[in-house]
Amino acid sequence: MSNHAVVSLPAGEAGATEARPVLPGDRPAPIARRRRGVRRVSAGQVVAMVLLGLGAVAMIAPFLWMLTTSLRSPGHAYDLPPQWLPTEFRWSNFADAVGGPVPILRNMLNSAIVAIATSVGMIVTAPMAGYAFARLRFPGRSSIFVLLLASLMVPAQVTIIPLFLMMSSWGLVDNLLSLILPGLTGALGVFLMRQFFLSLPESILEAARLDGASAWGTYRLVALPLARNGVSTLGIITFLTSWNAYFAPSILLSSTETATLPLALVLLLGPYGAGNLAQVMAATVIAIAPAFVLFLLAQRWIIASLTQSGVKG
Amino acid sequence: MRSPTSSTRQAAGTWRTSAVRREAITGYAFIAPSVLGFVVFVLGPVLAAIYLSLTKYTILRPPELVGLDNYTKMLGDERLLQTYGNTFVYVAAAVVLINAVALAAAVLINQHMPRWLTVLFRSAYFFPYLVALVYVSIIWQALFQKDTGIVNYYLSTIGVAPVDWLNSPSMSKVTVIVVDTWRNIGFAMLIYVAALQEVPRDVVEASEIDGAGPWQRFRRIVLPMISQATFFNVTTTVIGAFQIYESIIVLTRGGPGDSSRSVVMYLTEKAFSSYDMGYASAIAVSLFALILVVTLVQFRMRKRWVHYE
Repeated sequence: MSNHAVVSLPAGEAGATEARPVLPGDRPAPIARRRRGVRRVSAGQVVAMVLLGLGAVAMIAPFLWMLTTSLRSPGHAYDLPPQWLPTEFRWSNFADAVGGPVPILRNMLNSAIVAIATSVGMIVTAPMAGYAFARLRFPGRSSIFVLLLASLMVPAQVTIIPLFLMMSSWGLVDNLLSLILPGLTGALGVFLMRQFFLSLPESILEAARLDGASAWGTYRLVALPLARNGVSTLGIITFLTSWNAYFAPSILLSSTETATLPLALVLLLGPYGAGNLAQVMAATVIAIAPAFVLFLLAQRWIIASLTQSGVKG
Repeated sequence: MRSPTSSTRQAAGTWRTSAVRREAITGYAFIAPSVLGFVVFVLGPVLAAIYLSLTKYTILRPPELVGLDNYTKMLGDERLLQTYGNTFVYVAAAVVLINAVALAAAVLINQHMPRWLTVLFRSAYFFPYLVALVYVSIIWQALFQKDTGIVNYYLSTIGVAPVDWLNSPSMSKVTVIVVDTWRNIGFAMLIYVAALQEVPRDVVEASEIDGAGPWQRFRRIVLPMISQATFFNVTTTVIGAFQIYESIIVLTRGGPGDSSRSVVMYLTEKAFSSYDMGYASAIAVSLFALILVVTLVQFRMRKRWVHYE
């Protein structure tokens, strides 16, 4: 059982995306199906594709509109009917957005600093704790773990007031550290990594131990390399959560210089959306671009990472 | 399964207690950073929030204990009741709409179709989930403008009069719900797709041979088999919707009036605009208690309707 579990995560990744290739095998098979009528099946298929297609248009159209609007001259930004393909290419909107009253590139750097720092912190601290809870024995292990797990139920809104007071007494309000410090550890990561280490076969760890490796050596040289997939999953979840966060940053940061990118875009939008639409959309394109590129490069991996916790849960 | 190893370990333990102790010390060292983070940034603040909720605290003077005053004040606070009411609407809508649409999409995507189409659809539905809620809300608030937005433009081509999506008390919540659903179906859908692919094909085919119709097959075979995914999706949508915040800030700013304001917006306003930290903490604690109760109820009910193999 545990031998299966080792490959179950990488295989789960393949399973989510690779399960379809079984289908070509369907081609020579459907003799039974043909008897009941190929037409009924294919009609259903066509309906499914049309419905999904309409839905997909609704999912993508807002982004397409954003892109074309970001390239229009401000005077034409509100033109109706909307043009779905760009007819003018006013790249200066992007320059204006970057050079505008809100220092977007700086804000993007801020977001990157926080996201990278918290991801690095998390992939160092969470696997260690997860390993200890899964594989090491010490008094109080399960009660400490349950306590830690209970913090998954604590919404950020409950801790934000004391957190704000604490950060202001440390002089860290409007400082990126106020976001980084609480993000360096986290119960979700510990939980995910514990699950992961539980799935490793004990025999491998036992072998390392019998070879005389210390607990640290067993962890660092045997367990951690085997958990690469779990660690990268955790890294991407942490990065995206931080990159997209709005609630805590909106309370702990206050100046345009320290603002993270989501805050900066709300500032740029201005009260009641009175900003220059083409420019706001250009800024939004810039803000979304990294996520888009990341998605293009690692679509499968991201989807597998994010759904893993749910499927396994 | 694990018993052989634990007996080996026990044996090892009786041989050398120092090894046991060393393992325990390593264990504590390994969990130390996480436990420290938990104590400083979760446990401490939760206890502090509970304490503050029993005080009057407006920053200028030290907190002053007032017993349950903040909690009794909550019961008579019309704005709080309104924002809680709005939040319940968001939660109910999220659970029903996100799960219904996501499941329908998952079932459709699970039909046989060319592989590139599956990948395309999956990516299209999932992408909005990857983008910060703030950004998609910024796009949608432009699309939903009454006079210049393209939503009303396309509605007008089929004869619908302009809808005031963002600034009318009757529509503001609907708009928030539309954006929330639109953004979150992709993730729920992927969870359902993964679960549907685990449903053994032969079981479904056997019931087909037994003469079960498509709906019956779905209702009696597929739905119970994916109940774990349903449970996960319902739990995450409930918790997420209770905390709904930035999409409302961008779309309607909670307005008009308080018609779309969520309880989280109200508590942040109380804490960081009015600096009524004691009262805001009481609201936060009530929200926490509510999420906790709902989650625990769900976990209890889980035993009744979630099937395990």
